[in-house]
Amino acid sequence: MKLNDHVQNLGARVFTIQVLAFVLLTLLGSRLYYLQIVKGDYYSERAENQRIRLIPIPAPRGAIFDRNGKLLVDSRPTYNVVLSNEPLKNINVNERVDDYSRGLGLERQFVVERLNLIKKQNEFEAMVLKENVGIQDITWVESHSLEFPELRVELQPQRHYPLGTSLAHVLGYVGEISPKQLEDPAMREKGFRPGDVIGKGGLEQYYDEFLRGRPGYRKVIVDSRGRVQAEVEKVDPQSGQDLVTTIDYDLQLAAENELANSSTKRGTIIAMDPNTGGILAMASAPSFDPNIFVQGSSTPEGRRQIAAYWQDEKRPLYNRAIQGRYPPGSTWKIPESMGALIQGVITPSHSNMACGGGITIGSKFTRCMGSHGSPPLSYAITKSCDGYYYRLGLKMGVEGLINMIETFGYDKRSGIDLPNEKVPQTPKTWMPYILKHEGKWSDIRTVYASIGQDTVVVTPISMLRAVASIGMHGKMYTPHFLQEFRAIGPVGDEGDSTYMPARPNFGFQHPEPKIIPMTDDQYDVMVKGMWGVVNGGGTAGSIRIAGFDIAGKTGTAQVAELGKDSGKNKDHAWFVSFAPAFKPEIAVIALIENSGFGGANAAPAARAVYSAYIAKKGLPKTDGQEVASR
Amino acid sequence: MVAILEKRDLRDLDWQTAVLAIMIAAFGIWQIHNAAPDQNFWTKQIYGIGIALVAFVVVAFTDYRRLIDSAPVFYAIGLILLFLVLTPLGVTVNGQKAWVRLPLVGQFQPSEFVKIPTVLMLAKYYGSRKSGALSFKEMLIGGAIFAGPVGLILLEPDAGQAITYFPILAAMFFLSGIKVRYVVLAVVAAAIFIPGAWMVGVKTGKIKTYQQERINAIIDPDSVDPRGYGYHTIQSTITVGKGGLSGIKGETDISQSVLKFLPEPHSDFIFAVTAENTGFIGCVSLLLAYALLLSRMIAGARQASDRAGMLVIMSVVCAMAFQIFMNVGMALGVLPVIGVPLPLMSAGLSAILSTFVAIGFVVSVRLRRFVN
Repeated sequence: MKLNDHVQNLGARVFTIQVLAFVLLTLLGSRLYYLQIVKGDYYSERAENQRIRLIPIPAPRGAIFDRNGKLLVDSRPTYNVVLSNEPLKNINVNERVDDYSRGLGLERQFVVERLNLIKKQNEFEAMVLKENVGIQDITWVESHSLEFPELRVELQPQRHYPLGTSLAHVLGYVGEISPKQLEDPAMREKGFRPGDVIGKGGLEQYYDEFLRGRPGYRKVIVDSRGRVQAEVEKVDPQSGQDLVTTIDYDLQLAAENELANSSTKRGTIIAMDPNTGGILAMASAPSFDPNIFVQGSSTPEGRRQIAAYWQDEKRPLYNRAIQGRYPPGSTWKIPESMGALIQGVITPSHSNMACGGGITIGSKFTRCMGSHGSPPLSYAITKSCDGYYYRLGLKMGVEGLINMIETFGYDKRSGIDLPNEKVPQTPKTWMPYILKHEGKWSDIRTVYASIGQDTVVVTPISMLRAVASIGMHGKMYTPHFLQEFRAIGPVGDEGDSTYMPARPNFGFQHPEPKIIPMTDDQYDVMVKGMWGVVNGGGTAGSIRIAGFDIAGKTGTAQVAELGKDSGKNKDHAWFVSFAPAFKPEIAVIALIENSGFGGANAAPAARAVYSAYIAKKGLPKTDGQEVASR
Repeated sequence: MVAILEKRDLRDLDWQTAVLAIMIAAFGIWQIHNAAPDQNFWTKQIYGIGIALVAFVVVAFTDYRRLIDSAPVFYAIGLILLFLVLTPLGVTVNGQKAWVRLPLVGQFQPSEFVKIPTVLMLAKYYGSRKSGALSFKEMLIGGAIFAGPVGLILLEPDAGQAITYFPILAAMFFLSGIKVRYVVLAVVAAAIFIPGAWMVGVKTGKIKTYQQERINAIIDPDSVDPRGYGYHTIQSTITVGKGGLSGIKGETDISQSVLKFLPEPHSDFIFAVTAENTGFIGCVSLLLAYALLLSRMIAGARQASDRAGMLVIMSVVCAMAFQIFMNVGMALGVLPVIGVPLPLMSAGLSAILSTFVAIGFVVSVRLRRFVN
């Protein structure tokens, strides 16, 4: 059969089919050209994006030590159950809530929050679902790996606070970065992402940047189910720097012990080296266990415990040493006296003022606790004569008090290297408010302010710093915990984009101490008065240590009006001091909330810290003879 | 049959067609290996091609006219096999009941093979007619022959496989002298009816959501869920595009199929694997090889000694060209995902065997071009 024999035009029909087939093949060829040649790079990139994953390798956080090398905080390896979002994409996560909460013993609400958070993340992100799991949970996850491919167990370093509640306020704790923190553009710029662990409170927060390691990562190729098939690149993490603090843990224990044995078990004790500002001990009671925050935030009982901390009216989470503001009572007389001397309101040789057993302002009589005649300054300090200070305050005027407040920095933070320090409130703070609402600053306010009441509330750290500066003949140092950050070596090869340079060691960058101008006479009369408080029959005579001259001042700060000052409204007991009096090595402040007289309640607590100090260092060579000779 | 081979047969054999087909199939083995290097699909395919070549030789050297004479027998056997799929002997693979398992023979896909008896039966019917335009009655009888196997395949249901039968009928009608105005009418009707049916289908819900999604993935790839029904199309497009000019670069470049992003890489998406591994150069070479093969077969049709032989070749050509276009179009993201294998390339014993048998017929027709 030859096609052209036929009348059906078969030759043309076959040709039509052939042309049609070629046209179709050409269409395919041009589509190929478009996909492979024109858009080849675009699709290569898309293929790359869906297969390359970065898996972070967490970096160990730097440890924290006391000045003698005692370990205060470290990280230990723990197993975490990690939730990755990739396998979750195609399932309804609500189905998982019950399984997880039952299988891992988690709170439903928490599981719901986690699932919602992970769903919002980019592909192939992972988040911790349960921290610090035991063999039981690991077994559960492993045995359900087919059912729940999104769960896996990962070994990660976890912050560990071996001392528990001890030193908790100073150390702080770590936790996952909060959504609110992440809203801060500065945080985002630093590369923080949801699930990152960050210092919260205390030194952990203040020095987070240095304690924090730099995470490494594994760059891997994953298959369509997110399973790792090959490793392209690995960058090792760089550990955080170890922090050596100025804390002397023996003194810290002594201070905490005193607070624990105090009548109300609420208060704070700070010990500081007045020559540098280095904090030797800072205790605040009641305290909390930072481990609860680190380990417990995912377990029901952990969350209950954390909620209880926040709701506790004794406020265990708050660091009384730097966040508590208390009327200073008679401890206020020390900076006030020094201010009066500097301003020339009184002089070392002409410092006598009448006691009068009190003072009458208008029709109101405000009494002194004793009857002291017309004492000189040192005697007024030693006996804490209120009458003397009423008159001294009036003579200085509120302007003089404000001048003194500025001299001793009560209008600023101390600059201690802890977050959330509060600024004291003083007549300087109140002045605009009082003038607006009362028209003028009345004398009675000046009288109250002169004995550290009414418009005066200060933080214990600000009081310690001011008083210690008098012992240092006017040199006021910035209190701090940082002694040294230890060096960390580089990671990787120089020139690589992933190279992490060495992190050098460094110490506290001491600001120049503030100089409070005082003459030798002025210094002498002040320190003698304070020496007398403990060693000269003063209000804290009961804590005298032979051969170790403590110079101090008691305070008994009224919380409520006279007559109502019992029970929970009892006076706050203060004692602020340094020793040895004329060559201070250590300054200690103690505040016991609502416990009554300073001499009876706070001074013995301070004494215990001094005893611990002496037990370590021995008595200084010079002794009380020097004072007696003055 | 082989015994009666004459020297003349070997001389007249269409070596070009045979060698082209074998080369494409060998290229296919390489790509099946690329698709799943750690699985045995490619070794199975080698066995399959071995068996297929034996069948090819037997068919090629058998007089196709005798086979066409027996077409009703083959056709009846074909219908029985398709019916068996619907009985408990049928085997379900990947949720589709398209296979049958017989003692001794093993498991195979009748819908692949039954194309050949269908072609033979139609060629027998239309081959005997004389000149003149195709009558309506003749179309009805041809349509009835066609409806038997296709109806049974649709009952499986395997719409993808059923679609590959239509070019056979179209070729038969067209080359049996159907009036050109009917062809034009059919094209116009299709141009109106298909979009119309689509819209009605979507509105009434007759066209299922996943079917709509598969179409939408073609029309607007960015609008569909990349993890849902658009996944195949999107991943295949990425895989093809990634190939670039010359394919995978170096040892470290792990392929899309090995990472399991590309589904069914050894069978339905073998072209995407080819594109990724050999790039534009490899793909265009493959398309040229297909064009050559089709041209060679069409040349055979022109020289066929009778009408039936010409119809056999041209329906094989049309079916094959259509499958190539459907399969490659799917891999390139311009046609919806329908499970149509790529002739000679996709892994699958039934497909490779039936394709070589079909080519065997083509060669057989050509071998006897000088017989009166």
